Amino acid sequence: MSDPVNIRALAAGTHVVLASGAEVEIVSNPEDGVWLFGRYLSSADDPAMVGQEEMIFAQDVVEVRSRE
Amino acid sequence: MPMNGTRGYHPGLVDLASGQISREIFVNDDIYAQEQERVFARSWLFIGHESQIPNPGDFFVSRMGEESVILCRDRAGAVHVFLNSCRHRGMKVCRYDDGNTTVFTCPYHGWSYGTDGALVGVPFFREAYHSELDRGKYGLAEVAQLCCYKGTVWANWDSSAPSFHEYLGEFRRFLDLILDGWDGREGQAELLGGVQKWIIPCNWKFPAENFSGDTYHNISHRSVDLVGAGPSGRSRRDYGELNVARKLHVAIPDRGHQTITYALPKDHQPQPAYQSSPEVAEYFRHCEEERRRRPGANSRLIGAPGEIFPNVALLPRQPRTLAVWHPVNAHQTEVWRFFFVDRDAPRAVKNFLRDYYIRYSGPAGMTEQDDMENWNYAHAASRGVIARRYPYTYQMGMGHAVENYDYEGLRMPGRVVDLTKAQASEEPMRNLYRRWAQFMEADSWDQLMTWRHTAAQAAQ
Repeated sequence: MSDPVNIRALAAGTHVVLASGAEVEIVSNPEDGVWLFGRYLSSADDPAMVGQEEMIFAQDVVEVRSRE
Repeated sequence: MPMNGTRGYHPGLVDLASGQISREIFVNDDIYAQEQERVFARSWLFIGHESQIPNPGDFFVSRMGEESVILCRDRAGAVHVFLNSCRHRGMKVCRYDDGNTTVFTCPYHGWSYGTDGALVGVPFFREAYHSELDRGKYGLAEVAQLCCYKGTVWANWDSSAPSFHEYLGEFRRFLDLILDGWDGREGQAELLGGVQKWIIPCNWKFPAENFSGDTYHNISHRSVDLVGAGPSGRSRRDYGELNVARKLHVAIPDRGHQTITYALPKDHQPQPAYQSSPEVAEYFRHCEEERRRRPGANSRLIGAPGEIFPNVALLPRQPRTLAVWHPVNAHQTEVWRFFFVDRDAPRAVKNFLRDYYIRYSGPAGMTEQDDMENWNYAHAASRGVIARRYPYTYQMGMGHAVENYDYEGLRMPGRVVDLTKAQASEEPMRNLYRRWAQFMEADSWDQLMTWRHTAAQAAQ
């Protein structure tokens, strides 16, 4: 199990990887430590998600990949 | 004392024919519990001021009765009042006093709500709920009615209650004395500083009664008068015009609101005030002259302590403040005091008034400390089994109120007692408890809107 990601510290533009393997770009961060607003860049499980903006739950974030 | 359902408040516990009210209504835990449903869940309650939430996403956490609510301006600019309790397991979704946010996130399981109250985030919605939860059903609970009036925000949980304006009736002019500018322009008040909050060990009806217009207790403020805490260093207030005004109790029987007010003679000229500060004195002299030039009956009214049923106290003039008596339990009240000042007043005037307001009101205010001691000890001395046998006495001035009171063309609504010679009456307190008993006994708002029945009968 990977170390938990401190999502409060993630700025808009950062790319994160979710437990499903999907990659998401952070759009905004309410800094409540629970949620992020993000846009799906890839989603092998559900390709229809790509391009959509969704709320991302903290426990779903498994990796911080990069920052644009 | 066991209570028999919701009956027996009037004339049993609240006996206005004899002017006696049982101590039980102040100290009985069962009666207190019933009040939450029958009074606070049906009345219009003060929430806050729009100036506390000027921008989208701004919020201020307030109270309605015992319960925490969120006053919020959503992203589109609309004002909302929500119960501060997650629909999943009830955790508070906001634990700050105020701020700005995009979402209210429950720290327990992570349910998240937009500033419009919609449930927007459910952890593991697809995985654990299999996308089957109807999120549209589980937004934050929102009040049934909300009214923004001259900057103040009021709310009601009961959809069958009358509108806020109808609820106020003719008492609105007395609320206007706080919310309008000192010069008479409409809705010029803004909040001065933050909200003072503190807890008093007494039932909420002690302060509600006191602010309904208790002039009889002035003796307990004698030390403040002697110290000279007033804005000019004398007495408690600058009230030179009171020497020529009619001092009145005004009670609105079918609404339960009541106040002290002063009616000035026709063509009365402003009196010197705030003489220890030339800039402040000049500001108020100008405002008083402007006020007299504007049309409308309020130019001859001077505001004084009053009460909007059930738990909002007015003090329109010196210090200019609203207080809310939030019930905590039968034996504790959390006071929230909001201070007001003219939005356009010079900075020096606002600073002067801030000093005076703090000196007078609030937990450290000299006058409010006197009041708190009275309520604290009166409540404690009324809880014992022997003390409860002896009802309080409210006989002062019974039968001496008049209707259609007119002073040199200035008509007063409701029932009026002229205190200019009498000094005191208990008409406002009887008015408060008459309405309280009606709320405790009535099963619906239809029974409480007696004025509509009267109007319908007149039409027939």
